[in-house]
Amino acid sequence: MKVLVINCGSSSIKYQLFEMTDESVLASGLVEKIGTDAAIIKQETPDREELVLTSEILDHRDGLNKVLSLLMSKEHGVIQSADEISAVGHRVVHGGEFFSESVVITSEVRQAIRKTIDLAPLHNPPNLLGIDAAQAQLSNAVHVAVFDTAFHQTMPDYAFMYPIPRVLYQKHRIRRYGFHGTSHKYVAQKAAEFLGRPLDELKLIIAHIGNGASLSAVEYGKSVDTSMGMTPLEGLMMGTRSGDIDPAIVPFVMAKEDLTLGEVQSMLNKHSGLLGVSGLSGDMREVTEAMFDGNPQAKLAIEMYVYRLRKMIGGYFAAINGADALIFTAGVGENASLIREKVCSGLSYLGIEINLEENSVRRKEERKISTPQSKIDVLVVPTNEELMIARDAKNLVSSH
Amino acid sequence: MDQIQQVVVVGGGVMGAGIAELLASKRFETTILEKDPQAAEQAKRSVVHSLDRKLAKWGITEAEKKIILSNLHFSTDPSVLKDADFVIESVDEDIQIKKEIYHLCDQKCRPEVVFASNTSTLSLTEIAAMTQHPDKVIGLHFVYPVPTIPVVEVVRGLKTSDQTVNIVRKLLPEWGLSAVEVFESPGFVTTRMIVLMINEATNILMEGVATVEEIDRAMKLGYQFHAGPFEMADRFGLDSVLAALEQLFREFGEAKFRPAPLLKKMVRAKQLGVKTGEGFFRYDQEGIRMSEGEGSVS
Repeated sequence: MKVLVINCGSSSIKYQLFEMTDESVLASGLVEKIGTDAAIIKQETPDREELVLTSEILDHRDGLNKVLSLLMSKEHGVIQSADEISAVGHRVVHGGEFFSESVVITSEVRQAIRKTIDLAPLHNPPNLLGIDAAQAQLSNAVHVAVFDTAFHQTMPDYAFMYPIPRVLYQKHRIRRYGFHGTSHKYVAQKAAEFLGRPLDELKLIIAHIGNGASLSAVEYGKSVDTSMGMTPLEGLMMGTRSGDIDPAIVPFVMAKEDLTLGEVQSMLNKHSGLLGVSGLSGDMREVTEAMFDGNPQAKLAIEMYVYRLRKMIGGYFAAINGADALIFTAGVGENASLIREKVCSGLSYLGIEINLEENSVRRKEERKISTPQSKIDVLVVPTNEELMIARDAKNLVSSH
Repeated sequence: MDQIQQVVVVGGGVMGAGIAELLASKRFETTILEKDPQAAEQAKRSVVHSLDRKLAKWGITEAEKKIILSNLHFSTDPSVLKDADFVIESVDEDIQIKKEIYHLCDQKCRPEVVFASNTSTLSLTEIAAMTQHPDKVIGLHFVYPVPTIPVVEVVRGLKTSDQTVNIVRKLLPEWGLSAVEVFESPGFVTTRMIVLMINEATNILMEGVATVEEIDRAMKLGYQFHAGPFEMADRFGLDSVLAALEQLFREFGEAKFRPAPLLKKMVRAKQLGVKTGEGFFRYDQEGIRMSEGEGSVS
């Protein structure tokens, strides 16, 4: 069975075509600058050189059309006909309180996604465009929506509510939703497999730290807390996002610097975090390099990043009264051994002890970096959101 | 017309440059058409300066600035109109100049292209009558500073077609703008009310009721204005305020629109506001108001 996974941004489409019998990737690609006459399509297929095309692509439907003809083309194609695609998995950022799992897209589902536009004004509209375009082009396939927020819908109310007047929740659904849910879910399953124990017997703390970063506490297979909130700005310090700050800073800075709402939002989302503190970059590799070159701001940025991460991990151990494993994933989590080392070295009170040699090895597969004596297993598990989306789509097709 | 991608903004003054910056930031391929290379260069400087200020205030990133500038082109060659899907005219409020522009647009543009005029005081119907396609002419009155003010007055001339109105209605949300539909009337809503307030503030000043700072402070704090009437006037340009008042005075013939003598005097003395460094207040090169005391006119 072949499943196409689509992730639409406002002017981009990311896609991957899976053969689900062995979960292999047949092709993956990216369409950029949609809405212009100089849109770019990049496609990678195993054993072949990356293909880069420039073309006029006016909208998502047009873009998807081009992608499909590329997937079916004689020269670069991997399938004969669009009918080979049995299911399309759509990444949808915000499912609000409507969705606690992936669903087959019906008109009611579409309506519900529409209703959450308020909560994710930047992400849900392009996700809907992608759904419309794909449904038009691949009318025989089953279309499935997979939500970033769904996995965290199991959080108890005392974890998802904010201590502000409750009427705001009733009126505007202001609460914590959490993001990266597809990744946290995938990593939790992979970790259980790796540890050789059933997921519903495990307590896990997962640090998805990439450009965006979030922590989750997964108790017996269910997310019971996560560090991102109503928007992906809450929680950990990130590449360019501030994470938690005193909310009173917002009106204060707006008054002092004469900022508009848009400017202060941009400041917190795009000019803060590692970039804001180091003044150099939001990329962990570049900031780390600068730190080794003796740049004091870069050093401070990394110390803050590690300190805040470690403090929150400690909080999550308290939240679920201890855990079996601590897992690192995503760009920084999978690759930055220094960050893992620094974080774990301050968690010795929990009995965490990592094997420095194991930790410094770079591998594209799940592995244990803690010593046999460590009271808690520390793992590195590469995430794969696309595969998780494809699996959900496949499962829904089977039961459809 | 299904897809509007290329927009030509005729005139890169304060308003034109602001409109072009807004459109480019919304990923429309935008060209500012100016009369000579100096004016085009000035328009470019003004957009870059505005983007730099946004960057300094964390409103955009370096990458976003680059993208916006890559969507923005500056030209003195009227043949750019040939590729335009939509034209916005934002030249001086002078009917003769506008006549030449619309004549040019008629010659160069495809017949289905909509011409939007940013006029605030001239008659849209009169402007439309200069073209061969009066049904394609509509008023889009932007509010200064364009890239940050989310409202635009949509003005229907006598012959503006429903189709033209629909094209614009579909387009404005893509530009992040909310439309206020108005009938053709001098100054519409925004200009008519704001210049009247500025004029009255100037009269109050002349009567010695309060100082420039105190009047601005009263209105800012009292009615939550972002800038008081004098700072607003300085930012619009006192010459533009005066021109609008004179036009309203001519059209309505009502004394309430008669420009305050102080305003006329300041325009004659070339104290036009931010653009000359001095109006009711003083401004530095960056257009930032100097602190009180050193700033006000004595």
